[in-house]
Amino acid sequence: MSTGHDLLIVDDNPADVSLAREALKTCAYKGTISSVGDGVEALAFLGRRGNFSNAPKPDLVLLDLNLPKRDGLAVLAAMKASPDLRRIPVVIFSTSRLEKDIARSYELGANCYVGKPGNLTEFFSMMKLIEEFWFGSVSLPPRGE
Amino acid sequence: MSGAATQPAKQPSAGTKPQLRALLVEDNQLDAELVLRALRKNDFEVSAVIVQDEAAFVKALLAHCPEIVLADYNLPGWKGMEALNVIRRQGLDIPLIVVSGALGDVTAVECIKQGATDYVLKDGLARLPEVVRRALREKHEHGLRQQAEKDLAKKADELARSNADLEQFAYVASHDLQEPLRMVAAYTQLLSERYRGKLDGDADKFIGYASEGALRMQVLIQDLLAFSRVGRKEGALTNLDCKEVLQEVRQTLAAAMQESGAVIIPSNLPSVWADRTQMAQLFQNLIGNAIKFRGKEAPVISVQAEKENDHWLFRVADNGIGIAPEYAENIFVVFQRLHARTEYPGNGIGLAICKKIVERYGGRIWVESQPGSGSTFKFTIPIPVSTPEREAGK
Repeated sequence: MSTGHDLLIVDDNPADVSLAREALKTCAYKGTISSVGDGVEALAFLGRRGNFSNAPKPDLVLLDLNLPKRDGLAVLAAMKASPDLRRIPVVIFSTSRLEKDIARSYELGANCYVGKPGNLTEFFSMMKLIEEFWFGSVSLPPRGE
Repeated sequence: MSGAATQPAKQPSAGTKPQLRALLVEDNQLDAELVLRALRKNDFEVSAVIVQDEAAFVKALLAHCPEIVLADYNLPGWKGMEALNVIRRQGLDIPLIVVSGALGDVTAVECIKQGATDYVLKDGLARLPEVVRRALREKHEHGLRQQAEKDLAKKADELARSNADLEQFAYVASHDLQEPLRMVAAYTQLLSERYRGKLDGDADKFIGYASEGALRMQVLIQDLLAFSRVGRKEGALTNLDCKEVLQEVRQTLAAAMQESGAVIIPSNLPSVWADRTQMAQLFQNLIGNAIKFRGKEAPVISVQAEKENDHWLFRVADNGIGIAPEYAENIFVVFQRLHARTEYPGNGIGLAICKKIVERYGGRIWVESQPGSGSTFKFTIPIPVSTPEREAGK
């Protein structure tokens, strides 16, 4: 059960975002889901700049690596270098299974690395797992504005 | 003995004598005349430039384009052998013959060592035409050989590049193809789950076909990726005990073996110098096929090896359905299948991977079989010339 959480999905593929939303519909997730399509937008959203001045501060970021403009690793590095953003847990959610991507993500402070499953059933159960773990099991950092 | 006597084929008749551009390094005008006379007598139409110091030599080298340099060993202000360095510095390949008065054996050998093509004593100038001819011939042959080597190196280079391009292409294509395909697979599956029975029978069937097609293509792409990876990743080569590798493969195939009642009989398996993962894959694909294409009886698969000259010859023999000889080569080609997917599942990648692995080590793979009487897959793995110990530090 989760209420009042805010999730940010950073992914340039609208079909993937939609799939994640569909998957979360089948879970108990009750919070908001925001999404942005590139690394620059992601940092603007997180910094509440420009069009995103009223954006919620997310409790969790689901971050793809292969993104236009600034890629996922750059977004991750910027978040972990920022005193305001570094506490927000980041789940890397990517099709890449390359060792170097996984290693680099953890080096930059990713909270976990999850490979995007290829088929629907696995995709749905992976999203359910992420939802249950991050919004059900773990204690998230206090929100304190 | 005159030049004509030694070379009767070259009769002196004006106009038929070959042209020769010579550059003489000589301070004694008379000696130079003698040298030229020796060459002109029966053998060459010589156009010569005579110099005696470095500056003039460089100038003549570039202006006269000599085919041969004839250099006196001792000059007042310069050494004839220095001319060789000048020629090299200019990036030229012109034979130099030392033409000298008394020259000790030691000095003569030293000249040759430094790169002179030959040496001729001034009181033995009758030899000179033949020496020049030989020098020109050697240079010509050397040039041909160099050109051939260069051509070969270029071809090898092109081949390596085109191979690398192809593998890069396969890798990128399969990676980039996976992304959109993942969407097709996911959404057709979502459609089929969410709308099954809500449209009509045809719709369910169509969505089912689309969904199955997408899933199958995902597997194909993964196979292609695995195939292209065989050449890409330089695995660590170790001294591998094939008995251990086979043991691993038994574990991987445990379920299939149990289900089919398969028996594997290894004998005389050696250690080879190879990558563990690839050797395991090789055995696994061959044994997996032997189980998959079994006949009515439980599979009996013998795996053995024997040493033949510079390689090991492996045999993986089964009592399965066999293969008609006309397909014996096809089966090693990527995505070639002999049976309907409904009869025997699979994408036709296994043997292509086997072939790629074996060929990576410089070996060969082939099959000997008749329909109904089992198949024997044979492959060779070369025994490296260098000792394993020497490479172990890598």
